Amino acid sequence: MSLRRMVTVMRKEILHIVRDARNFFLVTVSPAFLLFLLAYIFSFDVGQLSLAVMDFDRSSLSRRYLESLTSDQDLVIDYVVSRYEEIEPLLVEGKVEAAVVIPPGFAEAIRSGQPAPVQAIVDGADPFAGSEAIGSLQARSSVFVISRGASGGLEGSEPVEVRTRAWYNAGIKSLLSMVPGLMSIVLIMPAMALSLALTKEKETGTLEGLMATPVSGAEYLAGKLLAYISTGLVSTILALLVAILWFRVPFRGSLAVYLLLTTGYFLACMGTAVVIANLVKSQQTAMFVVLIVFIVPSFFLAGLISPISTSSPLAMLVSYALPSTHFVEISRTVFLKGLGLGYLLRPTLSLLGMGLGALFIGLRAFKKKVG
Amino acid sequence: MLLRVANLIVKEIIQFARDRVLTLFILLAPTLQLILMAQAVERGINEQPLVMMDLDHSYLSRQLAVELDNSQELDVRYYVSRTDEMRRLLDQGSARLAVVIPAGFGRKLLGASSPQAVQVIVDATNTVAASVSLSAASSAVARFSAELAASYGLVTPEFIDFRTNVRFNPTLDFRYFSIPAQLGFIIYQVALAVASLGLARERELGTLEQLMVTPLRRLELVLGKGIPAIGIGGANFLVMWFIGRAVFHIPMHGSFLLLSGLTLLFVTAVVGWGLFISAVSRTQQQAILFVFIQAMVDITFSGFLVAVENMPPFLQTISRLVPLRYYLVIIRSVSLKGAGLQELRPQAIALLALNVGIWLIAMRSVARRVE
Repeated sequence: MSLRRMVTVMRKEILHIVRDARNFFLVTVSPAFLLFLLAYIFSFDVGQLSLAVMDFDRSSLSRRYLESLTSDQDLVIDYVVSRYEEIEPLLVEGKVEAAVVIPPGFAEAIRSGQPAPVQAIVDGADPFAGSEAIGSLQARSSVFVISRGASGGLEGSEPVEVRTRAWYNAGIKSLLSMVPGLMSIVLIMPAMALSLALTKEKETGTLEGLMATPVSGAEYLAGKLLAYISTGLVSTILALLVAILWFRVPFRGSLAVYLLLTTGYFLACMGTAVVIANLVKSQQTAMFVVLIVFIVPSFFLAGLISPISTSSPLAMLVSYALPSTHFVEISRTVFLKGLGLGYLLRPTLSLLGMGLGALFIGLRAFKKKVG
Repeated sequence: MLLRVANLIVKEIIQFARDRVLTLFILLAPTLQLILMAQAVERGINEQPLVMMDLDHSYLSRQLAVELDNSQELDVRYYVSRTDEMRRLLDQGSARLAVVIPAGFGRKLLGASSPQAVQVIVDATNTVAASVSLSAASSAVARFSAELAASYGLVTPEFIDFRTNVRFNPTLDFRYFSIPAQLGFIIYQVALAVASLGLARERELGTLEQLMVTPLRRLELVLGKGIPAIGIGGANFLVMWFIGRAVFHIPMHGSFLLLSGLTLLFVTAVVGWGLFISAVSRTQQQAILFVFIQAMVDITFSGFLVAVENMPPFLQTISRLVPLRYYLVIIRSVSLKGAGLQELRPQAIALLALNVGIWLIAMRSVARRVE
């Protein structure tokens, strides 16, 4: 394999990318732009839950209870209703996440030391919001109880205290978790540009012209790969600048290691892209497959927001088959834990294995079609 | 005019059907995605690995470990006695959190003067997992505390008897939340993918010029390209809905007619935007990359990953322009809550307005490219 021919292909490809401003944006600048846009969504940690309340007791105690529920702004009373029938529409329309019903006799029960019933009707259609609502209401009820106990001289103290520390992200800020994670999503773009370039050459027929030259299949693929990996690294650096300078996410690891591992990620993504490009006839189909089987699942299955599901072997298999899953781990480990290759052997080897394996298959299929 | 549009539609359908692989993929890939996602969807966050550093080795410290293990969110998997071992497990990502029980814990608790402290250290590189694990650990300690207090005669009466009634999804099953949303995403992806290649492909292959020589007017071209795409989007919805009901048993408490109508409204909006993308892209590659970016943005702004109320205000405004956001509300409300047109009026109006805007833009952009 001739180095010179490979470099020639690479140069041609880079010229293609740089020449068209639109292309250039899509391949090189779009990851940074996407990171900027998407990370903002996750930068807010505080959320408010809306409540509807129905107080049949109307005592000063019930009012104080309701006040204590909403004391810290996480729960907000948006509606006060007087009939059961009013609650259901509010839940259906999504105007409130939960309704709290205080029956008559609430205050009396408390004063006489009996358990006082309170009903919470919770919108379960969104289980995240639903369980958050339940958790918040229960927690605040406990606080109300404890504060009553303290003032009422009750021996209700907790014998065991919990002291918590959060490592790597002391404030448990979702931005710090999401920005490194999102890198794996936005860096899919340079990888996909490669697969599209390959299919396009096949589709428009310019590939045949290339095959008339002394360039071999391996040199062709390698040249293209190198071109897209180098522009990909440029886009990685741009995205890193956004992450570190704009979002102020700490970067505790080594830049060289990160770029090296990003190359591994590119190899895996591009390898997959090459295999797909070889299997499908048109760019349209290639796009379709990549979007549906690769990009969108990466949002949900790569451990980006909720951790990887361990509920079934199939689920784990699917998650670990996606390159993005490994890179999310790599990215977060280098950014937040500041650790190096020693701790990242498994994801790195997985990505390398995927990349080299896919490229090998891709190259053989490619040769067969052209040769 | 109608005849010309009809002719164009027939041509589109024939071209579409000719690409067997694509037709196959349009049927299979979304189904595959639905199955993958449904399999892997976490039923809440469970069995987070926990490393126990018990420096006390008393009966009580072991009881606390048992209580922690009893939480479904936690799984006591490692026992260490040294800090560096604990640190390594967290660094490696093998454990999500660590609980440290100091020496003398059991003895001092029985002596019961001041509260004893237990330290919980959590890996916050994934903030969702961190929050859930932390609150699970705190709850476990609280339970342990309460039982301890009870068994030693320090009774804390439950003042407030909290009864929850979870509507629409009594078991808080995450699948009822995720699967309708996945359906919405799939319908979105297919409609966008099919529409967005409408013009770019013809331009690239050179057949657009041939189209321009025909008596087709701008409006007719747009309709001729758009209607087949809407048709495919609609057919895709029917297939996916059938699979969702038959295989995944999505509940359906609302009107199918209403859902179909609103889906049609949604698909039309997405197709319009896809046509815009295809008009402004010079090559298919650009169109495809544009679609990828669009998909990433729309999925993030859709309110599924992050609730809209939790987004920064400026981005909440942007999310109002994303049809997917309204559609997710629609599909979930109709299937889980049995919502009718009355309750979904805001969403329907928003989709209508977006449709008008999008199609105006699409028409103008086609004009500029074509004439």
